[in-house]
Amino acid sequence: MASTELVRRGVLDRTRALIGWSVVIAAYIALLAAIFPSLEDSENLDELVQDYPEALKDLLGFGDVLLSTGSGFMDTELFNLMLPLLVLVLAIGSGSRTLAGEEEAGRLELPLSYPLLRRDAVLAKSVSLALELIVVMAIAFAAFALADPLVGLDLDFERLSGGVLGVTLLGLLHGWLAIAVGAARPGRALAIAVSAGVAAVGYLVNGLHELASWLDPFRFLSSFWWLGQSPLSTGVQYDGCLVLALASAVVLVAAALLIERRDLEVP
Amino acid sequence: MADTPAIETRGLSKTYPNGVRALVDLDLRVERGEIFGYLGPNGAGKSTTIRLLLDLIRPSAGGARVHGLDTRTQGVQARRHIGYLQGDLRLSDRLTGREQLDSLARLRARVDTGLRDQLVERFACVLDRPIRELSKGNRQKLGIVQAFMHRPDLLILDEPTGGLDPLNQGEFRSLARETAADGRTVFLSSHSLDEVQHIAHRVGIIRSGRLIDVDSVDSLRERSLRRITIRFARAVDPAPFAALEAVRIESAEGAVIRLSAPEPAIDGIVKAAARHQVVDLVSEPADLEEIFLELYREDDGLH
Repeated sequence: MASTELVRRGVLDRTRALIGWSVVIAAYIALLAAIFPSLEDSENLDELVQDYPEALKDLLGFGDVLLSTGSGFMDTELFNLMLPLLVLVLAIGSGSRTLAGEEEAGRLELPLSYPLLRRDAVLAKSVSLALELIVVMAIAFAAFALADPLVGLDLDFERLSGGVLGVTLLGLLHGWLAIAVGAARPGRALAIAVSAGVAAVGYLVNGLHELASWLDPFRFLSSFWWLGQSPLSTGVQYDGCLVLALASAVVLVAAALLIERRDLEVP
Repeated sequence: MADTPAIETRGLSKTYPNGVRALVDLDLRVERGEIFGYLGPNGAGKSTTIRLLLDLIRPSAGGARVHGLDTRTQGVQARRHIGYLQGDLRLSDRLTGREQLDSLARLRARVDTGLRDQLVERFACVLDRPIRELSKGNRQKLGIVQAFMHRPDLLILDEPTGGLDPLNQGEFRSLARETAADGRTVFLSSHSLDEVQHIAHRVGIIRSGRLIDVDSVDSLRERSLRRITIRFARAVDPAPFAALEAVRIESAEGAVIRLSAPEPAIDGIVKAAARHQVVDLVSEPADLEEIFLELYREDDGLH
């Protein structure tokens, strides 16, 4: 079956990248876990953060969480910025490469001359991107599960699962957006620019909408607003996760329709 | 359905968004079992035609059928009949030749591995090294194998012999002949008539997006000019030769006159030459390359 082969090839072609990303994310989690015990007892840290201006706390994602707890520490150091950022870089990089990048390199022409629908090729590439994200996030989850008992992070299992799920969906949305932009117009740079731009603007709107009131109506357009903050300390926004999943589905359908509408670009 | 041609286009046209008219109103019919050479200089519209047949790009007007199947609305079914080799072949650099062929084979429902192995052996393909380490010729051989390996009814090959050494070019020609003998069709593009004249039954010549001539190779050759070299005992005035119909003086240096003329003019040349003392007379058929250039020149006159 043609689609199965495209999915298989899509994942296999990314083996080395996937190993790299998994190692980086797992190592980062291990590093945080190693640092945590030395912060656990310092109540001063929480007081220090509490004295930050509200605006800075909002922007940095500190909110009202306590750095001295495992969940607050991981929220602040990982879930509120670093993990979404890493996953976005992975997803947008892969999403822009798999369609727009391959087209730019002239490697889409041969497979598309085979008896398969363009939209099936796009869907297969989207599935392999999703599998890629699932593999990396499963390894991140495993790293948490291993670190938790070792250093006493004392994380809530359900919130951890939900937090990882939310970040996965965030990555999926922007990765598929990169595929959809590549489906609409040729050019890898454009796919990266649009999807990274959407993510960056979403991040700023979410961080600043309470301060700049004119931004407030636009918060619904921010993927970060739907994702929510500090899932380990304050709970997972499941309705937001649902919105991210639905938005991803819409983007996927758009990608499948847009690829049928144009000429394939020849380098 | 057995009587539908391998390829049939009606008013097929392509104007790119930048306004370039890459293909204008192409009406072309390629019968099953023939080897058709699609000739034209670079940028004439050969690859545009081929990409339209594969539905990689969409026509601005007109349409095309492959084995009776519309390339736009029945693209997948049409492409089941086709084996394609792109002009500027790009494979997955990190895969080995074997992995690449396996992967492409799985994109099709049925591939006869026996046939594939036979082709691999025939072209002495390098299978166990990453494609990025292969020469252009070795990549091209993989491209040929993937186009033929599922025994397609119609081969569409865009400049297939690029980068191949003479031995493999010969192998490719026999493969194309066997394919046609088998009742299957080979449509191949080239910028050089020389490359296809020994295998093609018919050629179509395209220029600036317009098909200017379709003819059998044999009749092209008949229509062709002869190159005639006459050596006289002493210097001769070339004017009487120039006055003959359809004769052109290529050069006249003292006792040697070189002419080009179609077959019917030869009698007049010989009679004019007979008034002088002739030392030697050579008449040779023009290379098809020259006919090709001649057609281009004629076409220039029209515009």
